[in-house]
Amino acid sequence: MAETTANTTQDLLTQFSAAMAERAAAARPLVAAVNVRGHSPRSGTLWSGNLVIASEQALPRTVEAEVVLADGKTVAARLAGRDPGTNIAVLQLDGSVQPAWPAAVEPRPGATVLALAADGIGGSAVRAGAVHSVGPAWHSRSGGQIDRRIWLDLRLGSGEEGGPVIDATGGLLGISTLGPRQRVLVIPTATIERVIEPLLSKGRIARGWLGLAVQPVTVPEALREAAGPPQGLMVLGLTPDGPAAQAGVLMGDIVVAIDGAAVAGISQLAGLLGSEAVGRQVELQLIRAGQRQSVPVTLGERPAA
Amino acid sequence: MSAAAASAGVALRLRVAICAADPARAGRLAALVTDSGHQPVPATEPADAVVTLGSAPTAAAGVPVIAIGVEDGNFAGVLADDAGPVQLDAALRAVVAGLIVRPPPLPLAGFAALPEMPAPALSPREVEVLSALAEGLGNKAVGRRLGISPHTVKFHIESLFRKLGASTRAEAVAKGLRRQIVEF
Repeated sequence: MAETTANTTQDLLTQFSAAMAERAAAARPLVAAVNVRGHSPRSGTLWSGNLVIASEQALPRTVEAEVVLADGKTVAARLAGRDPGTNIAVLQLDGSVQPAWPAAVEPRPGATVLALAADGIGGSAVRAGAVHSVGPAWHSRSGGQIDRRIWLDLRLGSGEEGGPVIDATGGLLGISTLGPRQRVLVIPTATIERVIEPLLSKGRIARGWLGLAVQPVTVPEALREAAGPPQGLMVLGLTPDGPAAQAGVLMGDIVVAIDGAAVAGISQLAGLLGSEAVGRQVELQLIRAGQRQSVPVTLGERPAA
Repeated sequence: MSAAAASAGVALRLRVAICAADPARAGRLAALVTDSGHQPVPATEPADAVVTLGSAPTAAAGVPVIAIGVEDGNFAGVLADDAGPVQLDAALRAVVAGLIVRPPPLPLAGFAALPEMPAPALSPREVEVLSALAEGLGNKAVGRRLGISPHTVKFHIESLFRKLGASTRAEAVAKGLRRQIVEF
């Protein structure tokens, strides 16, 4: 036994373990605990300047919060903005703190990652795992665009999402977020950088909105000639007084194109409904009672969830 | 086959008392119970379980109650108001076996991606039939609503089962409808 203890400094596993713990310790200053009165503590990531980023879905509805930094200092903070589309909430601290953190290297499946979080009692917690998979930019159900689809192979406890995720070089990949079935994904640094500015100036990210619930359908042979494309989106729900309802779209209509472009994919449709789309007029080409029609719709702004 | 296996098998058909404030709701509830494979009976008759939409049930002592679409309460079972026949069947079996049933809390959903549009499998008419099935309508009622014969409805349902790989109405609704609807 004495021999093994003496040899630990040469042991690869021990070195690996020490290196992981060192990375975690180095990233520790990024971890912020976000306390909202009446709620259990949440985790956040100290960003450049005086900003803390948190997971929007995990943050209680609030204007004021208290942020506990890694050195134990408690700072008052104000919610500057929140965007359910990208799951990003920005908190502004009273007083400035910390310089920008190095960006991570390109994430690769299998690469080691550490997800840090506030442990809720003044310290930090660390989850270790690997990058499970990396995909291209994607749209969330709430309409936001996220720059990379990065899934992690690790678990998070409650209150732990929103903390920093770092890679083996110590670079910041983004913040952790719980996806469906408690799987963990990363909201990448690039996405956060993109939405911080509009969130600081407006408090939210506006998104275009039709007020429609649709289901993809095949267009029947008999209607192909009128329809053009072989597939469309059948209207199964209309928000009362929403943009589509006001424009006269009816249940059962089949949307086959928007502004002349066939509705080939849902992401493509989501791409048409960015912040610049609010207030714009689009032509919905649809099939109603076997006839092709064109209905002008003035896009509204997606209401807060 | 042992007696336990037989009682846990698909053949279990429970008498379920319907408790609703008005006949229309009672009718919908009874249809849901029928679709779940069990037998609806009036609230006054003896039953294995009671299903209510929240109005206070007059259940005999020891008969478990499932409440649909209520926040919570002193019920053996609570289901969300969009619960389908599959969920109701599972909940009925569970409460009769002495278990407690609750729907998962909403925040469990997590931050999800927009579902990519699958190659659309269904025709507009099939989607209409599926929407009607989702409301628990029978073939005749579906036919009346869409202005087609019950025979044609049956034809569409068979086609739906084939395309979706479903063997029950509930499974078809779950596979074909709920997963594919997207809001804009």
